[in-house]
Amino acid sequence: MANFVRLGSANAYDTALSNIMSRQTSLANLQENLTSGKRVVRASDDPTGAAQAERAITRLARIQTDQRALEAQRSSIAQAEATLGDVNMALQNFRELAATAGNASHTSLERQSIANQLKGYRDQIFALANRQDTNGLPLFSALGSALTPFVGPQGLPQDYTFAGQPGQVASNEVSIPYTLDGDRAFMNLPARDGVFNVSLTTVAGAPHELRSSGVTLVTPLPAAPSGLSSNSTYAITITGVDTTTVPGTTTVTYDIAENPNVLGPFSGSSSYPSNRPANIAVTAIPGLSINVRGAPVVGDVLTLDPRPSVFSVLDDAIRDIGNAPNSNAAMQAVGQALHNVDIGMSRISSVRGQAGDLLNRADRISSNQEKRSIQVEGDRSRAEDLDMIKGVSDFQNQQTGYQAALQSYAQVQKLSLFNFIS
Amino acid sequence: MGSLLNIGSRALQANQAALQTAGNNIANVNVPGYSRQKVVLTTVPGQYASSGYVGQGVTVQTIQRNFSEFLTRQSRIAASAQSADATRSDKLRQLEAVFQGGAQGLGASINDMLNAFSDVASAPTDMTARTVVLTRIDETAARMRAASQRLDELQTGVTQELSQKITNINSLATSIAAVNEQIARTNGTGQPPNDLLDRRDQLIKELNQYVQTTSIAADDGTVGLYIAGSQELVLGTNASTVALVSDDFGDTRSSKLAILRAGVPNTLDENMLGGGEVSGLLRFQNNDLNEGRNLLGRLTLGITTAMNDQHKLGLDMNGNVGGDLFSPIVLGTSNVFEPKGPAALNTGSMSGAAAPTLSVSDQTKLVASDYEMRFSGGSFTITRRSDGAVFTQAQVPPSPTAGPDVIAEIDGLQIHNPLGGAANPGDRFLFKPYSTSASNISSMFSTPRALAVASPVAATMGTANTGSLQQISVSARSNPIAPASLGVVLTFTGSNTYTRSDQGATVFTYTPGQAIEATVTGPPLADWSLTLQGTPAVGDTVTVNTNLFPTLSSGNATAMMNLRDVAMFDGAALTDGYAGLISQIGIRTQSADYAALVSASIATNVERDRAGVSGVNLDEEAASLLQFQQAYQASAKMIQVAQNIFDTLIQNLGR
Repeated sequence: MANFVRLGSANAYDTALSNIMSRQTSLANLQENLTSGKRVVRASDDPTGAAQAERAITRLARIQTDQRALEAQRSSIAQAEATLGDVNMALQNFRELAATAGNASHTSLERQSIANQLKGYRDQIFALANRQDTNGLPLFSALGSALTPFVGPQGLPQDYTFAGQPGQVASNEVSIPYTLDGDRAFMNLPARDGVFNVSLTTVAGAPHELRSSGVTLVTPLPAAPSGLSSNSTYAITITGVDTTTVPGTTTVTYDIAENPNVLGPFSGSSSYPSNRPANIAVTAIPGLSINVRGAPVVGDVLTLDPRPSVFSVLDDAIRDIGNAPNSNAAMQAVGQALHNVDIGMSRISSVRGQAGDLLNRADRISSNQEKRSIQVEGDRSRAEDLDMIKGVSDFQNQQTGYQAALQSYAQVQKLSLFNFIS
Repeated sequence: MGSLLNIGSRALQANQAALQTAGNNIANVNVPGYSRQKVVLTTVPGQYASSGYVGQGVTVQTIQRNFSEFLTRQSRIAASAQSADATRSDKLRQLEAVFQGGAQGLGASINDMLNAFSDVASAPTDMTARTVVLTRIDETAARMRAASQRLDELQTGVTQELSQKITNINSLATSIAAVNEQIARTNGTGQPPNDLLDRRDQLIKELNQYVQTTSIAADDGTVGLYIAGSQELVLGTNASTVALVSDDFGDTRSSKLAILRAGVPNTLDENMLGGGEVSGLLRFQNNDLNEGRNLLGRLTLGITTAMNDQHKLGLDMNGNVGGDLFSPIVLGTSNVFEPKGPAALNTGSMSGAAAPTLSVSDQTKLVASDYEMRFSGGSFTITRRSDGAVFTQAQVPPSPTAGPDVIAEIDGLQIHNPLGGAANPGDRFLFKPYSTSASNISSMFSTPRALAVASPVAATMGTANTGSLQQISVSARSNPIAPASLGVVLTFTGSNTYTRSDQGATVFTYTPGQAIEATVTGPPLADWSLTLQGTPAVGDTVTVNTNLFPTLSSGNATAMMNLRDVAMFDGAALTDGYAGLISQIGIRTQSADYAALVSASIATNVERDRAGVSGVNLDEEAASLLQFQQAYQASAKMIQVAQNIFDTLIQNLGR
């Protein structure tokens, strides 16, 4: 039977040769690992590692894409933030210039010239509000808007409109919105902002002083439906100025018409010492209050007009200052403009604050993503990269082994009994 | 004296034969299959003389062939197993190379394609960004096609190799039968025909390299060879023929080995074949390559269908509904197979033009497998071939929303019976839904304007809202959207409740970050889906309506990007689908590599043992050359001595 100390010569050569070949193959594989720097050259080298590496590569590409989109978003929001800053500065300039128009010594011509200057600011502000980012998208398009989101001036009652869908897109873990809510920044609502332009129609032929404060909201606001929710205009008509009933005291009575009428009409009266200018607090309108000063005359009308946007406010100021027939009207216009521009500026500032917050968030996301990117790159490297020190050491080992195999093969092959038969 | 001459010359002859045999051994040292031979010397029986038996010298009894039946058989089987494993492992390495990882892989192109939508989302009016998306789509389709083509090339290669190897099997079987005949003829001589036996063993060994056989020796010296356990390939002096046939369903991509008996093929299951290159190739073709094709097909079908569906939910720059991004994959007659002769044919009317058809109902549930449907007495079972899971009719009922012709719904696939055919017990169908998906995939259009990245639906928040509501996303679920679902106003009645203008006074619960669907009672979900975050104040409203400003909208681009995270391939995200594919093929390749290594090492060991018995050792032969040379010289000396004695005798007589 089998004699296991016996070797078939041919088989011995074959076995030795195939061992040498397999050593050569593994040396070549190690070399491939070393030169490519990868432990996993083929998926079968380590299927789990290969899948991990592939997933890590996917994540890395994803992070890069997200970061790129975030840069675009950051640039849009930064531009929007800067634009709001510009708008506020222009409004500030507008305000200062408008304030000078209240000087009683100005002639109507001078007021006209101031109005023309104001117009420049108004145009600038309107253009800023419609500004687009580098990709041609409106900065203030909210949840979607036309290329030019702010349209106007159009016919009343809504002289400026926001051609878009109000609302704010949310941020998430990897992105911030591309746009800000333009509606929130530039458009007004009577019930929210109480922006009314109060214009005077004084009885002609009897020059007298009459001015009003700006309109302020009074909480609690009336529940809808009310004149506030219906965009109603109010007309306060002075119906009586009684100086005789109570000597030394003047009592002014007035009617208030609401149009469209929801809760009205209203009426009220107020008394003040006759030796002082009138200071009538009109509180009859639910949710609104206004102070009337000066010397009211029966037949004087104060019209409270809700203004839908900051642009309307500017237009009112330009119109009313430019067309003011006398300094009383001019001062009234200036007072209204200052009051309403302030409201607009505070709205814009609040949206600007939101933009600043978004930019901060973008910075945080960006730094988070960078950290994640490093981590994922580490995952990828662990999954498929070769530990160079181990690789080199393995290679040295294999090399030594291969050399030994070759030498021993050559030496053993030389040995034969035939060498000694002569 | 005469006898001394006789003894001498006999010894000369015997030693010469021994020298000749040693020489023959040396000469054949490197001949594969040669078994070392040895001269068996025996003493010629002595002649009786009064003084006892006088030895008559030596003679050659036989030339013995050194071999071990057991080791030869073991070595044959081990080599057979090794060649099967090595072949499969080689082929799997080629298959693995089709599915590369990294930047050159299909996975990278899928990711790049979906990530490219990010730039479009940033700048929906930027034609460059749109063009990049189209290019990426084209590139992905090309890579899918290329992978499919390489699988086809592999298939072609396998088919060619199989047919060559089967030719070899047939010619080897014929040769073995012929050698059997020669051996049977020499059976009467009493001496073993060593070289013929070696030749037959070598032929059998070569045959085993292609397909494993079992051999049973007959009394007349012939050997019977059987494949697949009991199918005779060679019996005595007759050889059968084997051929490559398609399987029961006539699918050319899953061929089988068949043995022909009287011209009738008898199909053999490749799992019964044991070792051999043919079985390795068949196993690769029918399991591994098929799995690779199914995985690629599912990847293609899932991704392209999902992208097409999503794209159709968008509006392009001209306000039109989006079209197909990829050529739509239609599961047709090439995906449904019926038995072909000689297998038993279907007898029911649900056959031919009335055969069942397939469609995809949910691309996120697909399983990379073939399915076999078998009818038995009014009901059917469906076998998922990848894992052998069997589903009865009751386990795969069509969903209530499926069409009336749907007879079963399984793993996101619907099986239709469009013409209402009936099946008889025993009728079978094979469904291969993914076999052709990737082969013809292409990108459908090249106009950047036609990329539908705008959302047809948009939300508007009430301008009087005082809460902190923000929109996370609003997306379409159908396009166009039913008019009844448009203009829906959600009015919040509390921080976590709202009413809908289309649902009367019903109060719904609002959970930040959770989608609000147009369809209140779903599925299927239709029209739109809205996700909000933040806390609403009482009276805050959100209106969902047609997108009035589609040109600047990129809602659908975002939705396309969100496909990246859709759980699609066995629960893995779409972008991770390819990583799963790589590892599945990788695991197969790795285990085939291990199997090949193990069987190679077994084969080497057994072959060393066999060679230890049958192989020629040159040192041994050198020694025996010396040994018999000396004996030969001594025998010659013996003759010389006999001659000297004779000479001495003659000379003395002459005096």
